[in-house]
Amino acid sequence: MVEARTFRVALGAANRTSGRANGGTLAGRASDRGLAGAAIRAFAGILGSRAGNASRASNPTRGRILAIARKEFFHIIYDFRTLLIIFMMPVLQLIIFGYALNMEIQRVDMAVVDFSRSTESRKLVEEFSGSKFFRPFYYQEPVSGLDDLFKSRRARAAMVIPADFAPKLRASPNAPVQFLIDASDANAATFVRMYCTQVLFNYNEDRGIKTLIPFDVRTAILFNPNLKSSYFFVPGIIAMILVMISCLLTSITITREKETGTMEQILVSPVRPHEIILGKVLPYVALAFADASVVVFMGLVVFRVPFEGSFLLLVALTTLYIITALSLGLTISTRVRTQQVAMMFAQVATVLPTIMLSGLVFPIASMPKLLQYVTYIIPARYYLLIVRGIFLKGSQLVHLLEPTLFLAVMALVLLITSVRRFSMNLER
Amino acid sequence: MRRIAHVIVKEFRQVLRDKPMLAIIFLVPIVQLFLLAFAITTEVKHIKLQVVDLDRSSVSREVVRTFAHTDRFNLVGYTTDLREVRQKMRSWQTQMALVIPPGFGGQLRRNLKPQLQVVIDGVDGNTAGVSMGYARGILTEFGVDYAKQHWGPANLGVIPEQSASQGSTADLSVSQSSASQLPPGQIVQQLTQRSVQFQPASIQFRPATMEERMWYNPDLSTQQFMIPAIVVILLTILPMMLSAMSLVKEKEIGTLEQLMVTPLKRLELLVGKLIPFLILSYVELSIVMTVAILFFKIPMNGSYVLLAFLALLYLFTTLGLGIFISTVGRSQQQAMFIAWFFMVFMIMLGGFFIPIENMPSAIQKLTYLNPMRYSIQIVRDIFQKGSSLRFLAKDVIPMAVFGFLIFTFSVVKFQKRVK
Repeated sequence: MVEARTFRVALGAANRTSGRANGGTLAGRASDRGLAGAAIRAFAGILGSRAGNASRASNPTRGRILAIARKEFFHIIYDFRTLLIIFMMPVLQLIIFGYALNMEIQRVDMAVVDFSRSTESRKLVEEFSGSKFFRPFYYQEPVSGLDDLFKSRRARAAMVIPADFAPKLRASPNAPVQFLIDASDANAATFVRMYCTQVLFNYNEDRGIKTLIPFDVRTAILFNPNLKSSYFFVPGIIAMILVMISCLLTSITITREKETGTMEQILVSPVRPHEIILGKVLPYVALAFADASVVVFMGLVVFRVPFEGSFLLLVALTTLYIITALSLGLTISTRVRTQQVAMMFAQVATVLPTIMLSGLVFPIASMPKLLQYVTYIIPARYYLLIVRGIFLKGSQLVHLLEPTLFLAVMALVLLITSVRRFSMNLER
Repeated sequence: MRRIAHVIVKEFRQVLRDKPMLAIIFLVPIVQLFLLAFAITTEVKHIKLQVVDLDRSSVSREVVRTFAHTDRFNLVGYTTDLREVRQKMRSWQTQMALVIPPGFGGQLRRNLKPQLQVVIDGVDGNTAGVSMGYARGILTEFGVDYAKQHWGPANLGVIPEQSASQGSTADLSVSQSSASQLPPGQIVQQLTQRSVQFQPASIQFRPATMEERMWYNPDLSTQQFMIPAIVVILLTILPMMLSAMSLVKEKEIGTLEQLMVTPLKRLELLVGKLIPFLILSYVELSIVMTVAILFFKIPMNGSYVLLAFLALLYLFTTLGLGIFISTVGRSQQQAMFIAWFFMVFMIMLGGFFIPIENMPSAIQKLTYLNPMRYSIQIVRDIFQKGSSLRFLAKDVIPMAVFGFLIFTFSVVKFQKRVK
């Protein structure tokens, strides 16, 4: 009931505002897009009516902030292509990371050069074709041709069984088999080597030879027992999206006003600098939350990522992270003049490090020491621990004290410096 | 021809005048190269290991020491409470725990096959899988060493299975003599299980062993694999962004119309605009190659001429994409975002750090539409394997086709747009 009424009021407000200056045609255009249009109109209406109410309730600051927010909101809606990309990007990345990111290789094409031509060597080849890791094929030409085979990528590994393989299996201390592995992809080569060892081990075991280890090793995997990579990446993508929107978009939106000269126009209006910032930033916070919700929803429903922790804690700490990212964006926008530089700078200073250095994909502990120190100044590093901890491990605030503290200090420092610089810039 | 030269001069002046832009063009790639080259490691090192040693025997300490000796594990602490491990994992202070149960050492001495437990935080599936492999490897090695030391080298870690007991009498005599060297527990266990005589590694049972050769990259360096691909990525970002932004900027501030009313033909304008970016791209390519070869010591086994020629083919694709974006995007911001969207898609599905073979087959088919897929493969092969055009043909042909199609399509679209 109440909701329906608010909605009607909102629509009414939207209709009322549509008569006014700039927003009207946009809202009209947006309404053509069916359901989405209605939602947009409703939201714009809420902003509009609130602004109206607030100003009537003699709270000029809130009214002015909401007015700026509404203006900014229409800017976002107007740029439909950017909006589409903002929502498409996370979904695409979710799909790629969720389904495609898999470092373990499978079905390695393997050339077999069998000089032995014995029952034993045939059994060895059978062992390889029986495993799910290899697709062996016989290679009749001379061994020198293997180089061409690797270069044309028809094989990734080759097995050379020497002529004296069978007699050696009976007489020598051991019978060596040569494995040539295309190591151009080092990671893949490591896996191929591991698989070869495994299959050879099985072959020896089939023939009745067992490696003697005097104890058993049992493994227990906690939190993600099937080692699903989507469980790891889906929460991680939230960190990236929030930086992209809160930092990249915000830095651009302020430089755009500077570049096109509209900033001066706003400044001569009775709006104060901190009201401009808040008003400009609010729609992006909403956008960031909306985008993050899409990812969370898709993660929970499509990828069935477990959610073990407290939702409230996630929202609280996400807000903290958004504040940090926003302050970073503001800092950038105070230092540069053109959109182009702002975008390039934001990309190099925030987006790239967030992807590469935060532990999103590559483990920080494996990086060189110097680079590891650099990661301490990247907010996403801390947020990733928080979001993954809450999602998968059910971590509580007690467990996440350290990253939370780092993030809070960073947010405070950035916020103070950026707002101070920003006001200075504007008042000059 | 003169008119094209004028546009080139104008474009160069415009780029060289913009100091921050210049810094971005030349400094950023170097920074990116360093950042990416060092940050991208799929290796797993320094796994935070917690030890739950409930045995406290000399053997258990020895086990712990073998873990502490490698740089793969970082010993972060000891505890006796298994619940603490879970809590520590929740706060990301440990990734793996080695649990040595009470009585491990004693049971090992009496050869009762005791159990060890490894508890792993599975949140990062890749790291967890690799660290599990490391732990198993270290423990196996330790077990074999232990067996060698305590039961004599005669076994060498290899024994035959009991069921395969068609040995001759000669084998039997051997088996009896060496059986005395075996630990008593082993024999007792075997005798109780089945009343067969124990056979040592006899003549029929020689293991097949592995002799490996790692071709093209014997040190298994990740950088040797990644840096050539980074070269491709820089060859994509710079031309695409620069051409898209520069064309959109003219459109946005209205100077494109001014250029249109001059006697300059549209194609001349486009050629004049693209040539400076082509030159800049080559300058950047040579800077990055120099750093890669001199600083990172990446071996270049192939032909420079071939690389330069194929880079030109690829630049048609990226410059074409840049023109395409400029026709689609209305503002610089839009152009930037569209370019960025293309880039993420191309990098993710180009085999840069996610191997294409590992993707689900539907996504694998999608990657054939990605021009970067071919160029990354080509540059890696030229660097690492020194492949000639003969071997690269199956990548060069689709890349050239893509370049041709994208470039002509974009140019036609641009011409129409401008009219």
